[in-house]
Amino acid sequence: MFDKIDTIKTHLLRWSGVVVFLLLWEAAPRLGWLDAQFAPPFSTVLGAIHELAADGSLAKHLVISIWRGVTGLLVATLVAIPAGFLLGLRLPVWAAVLDPFLRVLSQVNPFSLMPVFILFFGIGETAKIVVIAWVSLWPILFYTITAVRNVDPLLLKTARSLGITTGELYLKVILPASLPVIFVGLRIGAGLVFFMIVAAEMLGANAGLGWLVHNSAMNYQTPRIYAGATFIVILGYLLNRFLLALERAFFSGEQEQVDLVPARRSSAPSWRPGWRSAAAAASVIFVFLLAGGREVYLSNLANASLGGHLGHQEEAGEANVEYTCPMHPFIVREKPDVCPLCGMRLVRKSDAAHGAGH
Amino acid sequence: MSNLAENIIPDQEPKIVIRNIGRTFHIKKSPAGPHDFVALQEISLEVQKGEFVALVGPSGCGKSTLLDILAGLAKPNSGAVFIDGKQVTGPALDRGIVLQGYALFPWRTVRQNVEFGLEIKKVAKGERREISTRFIDLVGLKGFEDRFPHELSGGMKQRVAIARALAYDPEVLLMDEPFAAVDAQTRETLQDELLRIWEETRKTIIFVTHSIEEAVFLADRVAVLTANPGTVREIVPIDLPRPRQNSDIRSSPEFGWTRHKIWELLQNQPPADHRAGEQRPVADAISPSAAL
Ligand SMILES: Nc1ncnc2c1ncn2[C@@H]1O[C@H](COP(=O)(O)OP(=O)(O)O)[C@@H](O)[C@H]1O
Ligand SMILES: [Mg+2]
Repeated sequence: MFDKIDTIKTHLLRWSGVVVFLLLWEAAPRLGWLDAQFAPPFSTVLGAIHELAADGSLAKHLVISIWRGVTGLLVATLVAIPAGFLLGLRLPVWAAVLDPFLRVLSQVNPFSLMPVFILFFGIGETAKIVVIAWVSLWPILFYTITAVRNVDPLLLKTARSLGITTGELYLKVILPASLPVIFVGLRIGAGLVFFMIVAAEMLGANAGLGWLVHNSAMNYQTPRIYAGATFIVILGYLLNRFLLALERAFFSGEQEQVDLVPARRSSAPSWRPGWRSAAAAASVIFVFLLAGGREVYLSNLANASLGGHLGHQEEAGEANVEYTCPMHPFIVREKPDVCPLCGMRLVRKSDAAHGAGH
Repeated sequence: MSNLAENIIPDQEPKIVIRNIGRTFHIKKSPAGPHDFVALQEISLEVQKGEFVALVGPSGCGKSTLLDILAGLAKPNSGAVFIDGKQVTGPALDRGIVLQGYALFPWRTVRQNVEFGLEIKKVAKGERREISTRFIDLVGLKGFEDRFPHELSGGMKQRVAIARALAYDPEVLLMDEPFAAVDAQTRETLQDELLRIWEETRKTIIFVTHSIEEAVFLADRVAVLTANPGTVREIVPIDLPRPRQNSDIRSSPEFGWTRHKIWELLQNQPPADHRAGEQRPVADAISPSAAL
């Protein structure tokens, strides 16, 4: 009984914080506490969201950003878990030697690595996926290494006494025993995905929530910045809740772990997916990846042809002036600005390579 | 003295021959600097087929180390172990182990845990189910097949571990303080159950314990180990009638004498140089009961 009241109380408290925040957001610009130019009231942002939803572009941005986020996370997982097994179990010396280096890499501000990514992967879809995969890779890798090394030695001993092969030991004992800890790393990695989506979609994107934020900023459409940012926050929150729910379902006997890995955990699953539900989940993800990939492809395609038209016909005249960065010629803006990559002032494109090109 | 003959002269080829096992650990980090630590020295023991032998000894005398060597999980520095005349070179499905910490796979149900060894043995699914059902029944866990380990009591977990070790039909069961973690009452129940299972399955069992009472209650013979280095002090035959389960044999005078004899052996450990090479006559060990 008390429990129930307590839960209701906790929920009220938690959500009342959000409500107060939204009220303040609405009131502050209206009362002149904040400059409405930079912080438009919540209702104005809602208006912008409504506008975006009405013409269907919001759905498109959502699908495209989720596609990039999920793909990046999948790539990170597929690289980090085998790498974690390899470093944690097969190459302990390498792991010890590489450890400081990997720590440094994982600490490097991913934004400052953008030029390197561009150098290696250009500004296409690959670069965006790589940027996202890069940030989520590290927690998954480190948690995997810790997990595979801390499997209960009694379990290993029991399995080994059966003359089990190494492959079976990995698949049937070490992987399932480490899964609860690996999953925590996965959840932390997933938390960084939407954090990086703005950066990723700065790289020559033409759709997606990150692009929406970025493009709106370039065009001084402040309410749309907040609209995009709101959805990025919501997506991040939902993904976290989803993964937490999965974690509880699989490893329910465990307490919620935020970022500490105890040496040994009493993993106690209440439910493990059978082959059928795992296959069902995999096919849902697969279908989404296909559908989202198609959306991304179409969007890239449409933009390529649209860009051509804009340049030659509709925007002919004074609007034809474009600004570009002398260091990063693929950065093109319709208004004077600084380069998002290096911070240099953009120069008129017609003054630079543009004239020669046409 | 009539009980002497059957224990001294084996009437058949021994199932397990442990010959002059030595095991040394190289200690790198210690206050005394790096040195070699002799965990086991010249351990020799023969176990008959279907026999129940208990190993007792103080903590750290090398009981688990010896069991690891028997399981093929560790190699001795000297000596060898033979099972059915064949030298042990690694782990195999002819030996099953049961450890103190249950070591159940937490992501597997009771049935899936019991079937683990069968999966490794590549037994077909239908047959696996049949076998696991039989062994779950044998350890008295019918109705708990789909529970996860965290939903079981300590005693139930240990039953699952026993069923898992028996399911792939090893001829030898190696048990390392399997009942040390459960409460006294559950412990006695499990001991009764183990004797019943042993009589039904006729496995050869080597059972490590630090409880003298447990060793005397369960075993045909008790090997008393001493520490630093780990050696077999004496092998004490237990001449108590069977079946012992569900009886008040624990309160019989014979039981008390035997227990006291082993207790004395463990208390008055002779200095190391006296021990070497000397094997006391078994008659000494059982004199109180023989005098009856
Ligand atoms: N891997 C190891 N490295 C170093 N010393 C060990 C190792 N394993 C066991 N020992 C030592 O060998 C002795 C016997 O250990 P163990 O077989 O576990 O004893 P018991 O099971 O009888 O309590 C102990 O003193 C222990 O510290
Ligand atoms: Mg031990």
